[in-house]
Amino acid sequence: MKKTLLKVGALLMAGMLVLSGCASTATTTKEAEKPAAAGEAAEPEKKEADEAAKAVKVGFIYVGPTGDGGWSYAHDQGRKYLEEKLGVETIIKESVPESQEVEAVAADMIDQGCNVIFATSFGYMDYIEKISKEFPEVKFFHCSGYKTTENMTAYFGRIYQARYLSGIVAGMKTETNQIGYVAAMPIPEVIRGINAFTLGAQSVNPDVKVKVVWTNTWYDPAKEKDAAIALLDGGADVIAQHQDTAGPQQAAEERGVWSVGYNSDMSSFAPKANLTSAVWNWGPYYVEKVQSVIDGTYKSESYWKGFEAGIVDLAPLTANAPEGAQAEVDAAKAAIIDGSLNPFAGPIKDQTGAVKVAEGSAMTDEEMLAFDWFVEGVEGEIK
Amino acid sequence: MRESVMVELKNITKTFGTVLANEDVDLIVQKGEIHALLGENGAGKSTLVNMLSGIYSPDSGSIFIRGKQMNFDSPKESIACGIGMVHQHFKLVDRLTAKENIIAGNKGSFFTSGKEIEKKIISLCEKYDLTVDLSKRVQDMSVGEKQMLEIIKVLYRGADILILDEPTAVLIPQEVERLFNIIRRMKKEGCAVIIITHKLGEVMELCDKVTVLRRGKNVESVDIAQTSPKHLTELMVGGAVDLEIQRVKTENKEPVYEIKNISVMNSDGLKALQDVSFTMHTSEILGVAAVAGSGQKELCEALFGLVKLSQGELVFKGENITGKTPREIYKKGISMSSVPEDRLGMGLVGSMDIVDNLLLKEYYTQKGLFINRKPLKEKAKELVNRLQVSTPGIHHPVKQLSGGNIQKVLLGREIYLEPDVLITSYPVRGLDIGATYQIYDLLNEQKKKGVSVLFVGEDLDVLLNLSDRILVLCDGKVTGLVDAKNTTKEEIGMMMAGHTQETIQNKGGA
Amino acid sequence: MRVRVVKAKESSRNKKILIQTMAIAAALLITGVFILAIGHNPINVYSSMIKGSFGSAYRVKETIIKAVPLLITALGIAAAFRMKFWNIGAEGQIIMGAFGASFVALRFADLPKGAVLLSMMIAAVVCGGVWGIIPGYLKAKWGTNESIVTLMMNYIALKWIVYLQYGPWKDPASQGFPKIANFADSAILPKFLGVHIGWIIALVLVVVIHIFINYTKKGYEIVVLGESENTARYAGMDIKKIVLLATFISAGIAGLAGMIQASAVSNTLNMQIAGGAGYTAIIIAWLSGLSAPWMVVVSLLFAALIQGGSFIQTAFQIPQSAADIIQALILFCVLGSQFFIQYKVVFGGGEVRGN
Repeated sequence: MKKTLLKVGALLMAGMLVLSGCASTATTTKEAEKPAAAGEAAEPEKKEADEAAKAVKVGFIYVGPTGDGGWSYAHDQGRKYLEEKLGVETIIKESVPESQEVEAVAADMIDQGCNVIFATSFGYMDYIEKISKEFPEVKFFHCSGYKTTENMTAYFGRIYQARYLSGIVAGMKTETNQIGYVAAMPIPEVIRGINAFTLGAQSVNPDVKVKVVWTNTWYDPAKEKDAAIALLDGGADVIAQHQDTAGPQQAAEERGVWSVGYNSDMSSFAPKANLTSAVWNWGPYYVEKVQSVIDGTYKSESYWKGFEAGIVDLAPLTANAPEGAQAEVDAAKAAIIDGSLNPFAGPIKDQTGAVKVAEGSAMTDEEMLAFDWFVEGVEGEIK
Repeated sequence: MRESVMVELKNITKTFGTVLANEDVDLIVQKGEIHALLGENGAGKSTLVNMLSGIYSPDSGSIFIRGKQMNFDSPKESIACGIGMVHQHFKLVDRLTAKENIIAGNKGSFFTSGKEIEKKIISLCEKYDLTVDLSKRVQDMSVGEKQMLEIIKVLYRGADILILDEPTAVLIPQEVERLFNIIRRMKKEGCAVIIITHKLGEVMELCDKVTVLRRGKNVESVDIAQTSPKHLTELMVGGAVDLEIQRVKTENKEPVYEIKNISVMNSDGLKALQDVSFTMHTSEILGVAAVAGSGQKELCEALFGLVKLSQGELVFKGENITGKTPREIYKKGISMSSVPEDRLGMGLVGSMDIVDNLLLKEYYTQKGLFINRKPLKEKAKELVNRLQVSTPGIHHPVKQLSGGNIQKVLLGREIYLEPDVLITSYPVRGLDIGATYQIYDLLNEQKKKGVSVLFVGEDLDVLLNLSDRILVLCDGKVTGLVDAKNTTKEEIGMMMAGHTQETIQNKGGA
Repeated sequence: MRVRVVKAKESSRNKKILIQTMAIAAALLITGVFILAIGHNPINVYSSMIKGSFGSAYRVKETIIKAVPLLITALGIAAAFRMKFWNIGAEGQIIMGAFGASFVALRFADLPKGAVLLSMMIAAVVCGGVWGIIPGYLKAKWGTNESIVTLMMNYIALKWIVYLQYGPWKDPASQGFPKIANFADSAILPKFLGVHIGWIIALVLVVVIHIFINYTKKGYEIVVLGESENTARYAGMDIKKIVLLATFISAGIAGLAGMIQASAVSNTLNMQIAGGAGYTAIIIAWLSGLSAPWMVVVSLLFAALIQGGSFIQTAFQIPQSAADIIQALILFCVLGSQFFIQYKVVFGGGEVRGN
């Protein structure tokens, strides 16, 4: 229970929430029923598969509400895709803080019959690790972390590849050569994204500078928007973000400048500002992994794939995107997929100008997973 | 005859929850009549007049004003009907001047000129022999002036039926005399005046008729000429009572507690007591007479060790106890008891039972961390028996007891401490007559035992009869210390108003 | 006809029970309408809430775990409330207690387990207690308003933890993620009957506080002072000393709740450590009439409400905001019933009891 006093106040908003609650619940149920109905009509083989699917119940733990339009929304889209494809039962819990509470939430889900848990925020890692040892028969999937156990998989995607492409678009668009980047927390995942984005922008515009502001939150629309406004005041004319909401996009929209989204296609939040977004596509991965649990072939692993697996992508460029960007992006994407382009191949200098990755070599996964320095051209501190 | 009836109440009944405040009460007040409403606390006097002034409405019964049946829904309607009430606690705005207070809340033409208003007020004052400084702010006024202002306010609104709720409680004798003259003037001008009081002397002196209430019912309405104080008391109490206050004769009056030139500041940093000196004796009741707020409260607290002295010394049997807290005084083996004016807010804990209230003065004498209630249970039972405290049991919260029983618990506890000095502040305020005399007896009993008793009282007759000596305070200063046998009410009244003993005696001599 | 609100005379026990029963019925009814509106069957949801909080051994354990900090904090709050010192700062005191405990846990984890846990408790009581004694001192010395001071100090405490989390205490092993390091095993409270021993500490405290308030001199002084400062002064009590002692005890107990949460539940220190328990406990203390034994019952009911509310979120896929509204509606009705216990509404006539 959060602040009880606040709750009493929340009562006043009951009316509004009733409506929104109505809408979201209704859609969830409908989609949950669809695959089940389809399954019955299908062949007997499919029926058997359904029986197996029924033995699996999947719990999703989100750090924000599914209506955040970003991170949790993207995961929830993946969950819906999973339900549709496999007909498994899923339950969710929104707005779970990155604290001991996640442990209780996971335990509650297991108590309600879940045997697969997807915990979708970095800060859940230690708690999920702890609880995975308490429930060895339950399969845990933790997103964006690095710890694994017998029954806990660490999964993530090489979103930096998409960031590199979005950097190209932003680098071509900027006129002030200053790009603002609203970032959540100084952890390797975020740093890697900033670096990839910067390198992408520099690949088409060597003069580009990327200014970073930390919000220290994943989900705080107002704070994220304020951070973007501060960056715009500082001279930036494109805003990129590593946040779960579209707050920074709206700041760019209001100021009449440009923005690059993240998590899901954010063009609808800022139709006049948005250039493109680096997006997640969790659905296929969820289907694959839950299928492996159903089949009994589950093995814990550290999963980290990119464009080739379709888990990450760049949203279609909008009409705001600069001319010629589409061609650049397509070429780079193809090169990344065929291996001829690696965003983190040398030479790469850090902020002081020292060469960190020598020409001819490239960063290993381990190095990338422990990123704790900014490339040249990033203005900001890791603190 | 009928035409001259201003107020008639018929079969008025009023209940609050299960409490029957008024039952079938009748009251008739004529034009040009001063009518006393007499009764003990809780007899239903205030409830009755509050129905006249529109604050309550009766459950049943009817109200006729000048022969017309009325049904007041609010005080406004009552005022419009010519009824004016002067409450015990004045309803004036401190920051405003007298004139502003008079016109505040009056519906008048917005353009009524200030001069016209002034003229009207002045003519009222002349008519009733009232005086008021219209530009003076209420906060600068004495109690007497405030009361005068309240009366003018009511008259200005056109009242010819006046209700005065205990008007003399806050006044010194001289002011009382003045008020009575004004009331007599009102009578002459054809007003009807209802006075709520429990002071029999005033009733006899001022009123034409009296209605006695007892437990919500009216006992009798009689002409003053056909009654006596004794009769009225019997009507109030509902039986014969012995009204004599005895001054017990004692020997061995020896100085025990010396108060030397003490001064005390109040919370606003003003002097509440100024250079007060006197000596308390064993086997003596020392009365204290003063208008409310003259420093008697601070005096009691200072003697008991509750307030810091800004100057002076307290010496008990040769031992200097200046600046000592009650605990420290206790540790010196001196037993000092005090019955403060605010019984439930200071002397007792209202929500606690008798046992826990006895504990208040003894728990710290017990050994160890824990409280032992056992011995106090016995004591509580004894107290209840000896002082005839009427309570459902010793574990009953004291605030649910009646005023008299609360006072018995408080005084009883203090007496049980076997004090050397017993300080009592208005010990009989609000008590019914039976309980009052019981308290007087208890004080006399203590005096006989050799206790030095300080008795702060408000009824000068009682002070004169009960005390051995009387200390008079005015504005925190001692204006006189007289032998109760050789003084008069008037003399004490003069001293209460600030004239010193010397000047009075000189005047008398001249 | 006029409608007025009048202070009621002390309600009888039966009347209180009747009003409260009606309040719960009203709560179920109003909430039921809301649940229907969001497309669920109220009876199913209610029974799920009960099942979710008491339906299995696991759920009972979870409910108890949630009740422990509420109960302990309510006990602490009651000690101050008895003195009519309105300590709204339990939230901050829990946090500071957790801070003290964490300081020990992070620095001295190499000591034997018993020593670590004991010093954590002491540190928690001292840190929490100091956090409460500050407003106590300010009140005793200058008569400041304790509700405001304690409330504001909650924010200071919270921001202090944020500072530590993002600054000096940031776990270097967490690769930049702003969190404080997890405690070593020596700093984690053991379990008894499947639940961390916080529940035993809580029950012991219930007895201790009950005895303290009712059967000790200090407890008696606190109650007298709460009834009337003048009476306490008149009885010769040292008011400042009592205020300081009571605020220290009150806040120290809240601090102990913080230690238990940090040690047994989160195994570290973070901003969610108090999680509103400091506010919820105020309501618990109040509804229990400040009586320690009653707090056990009321805390459990509140914990069940929280646990049940959390359960229905996943069981029925009710959005968190809707689950919060259900909890709030129930709470609103129960708290609202207090109004009808203390006041009565008079129709017509319109008399106000004088004096």
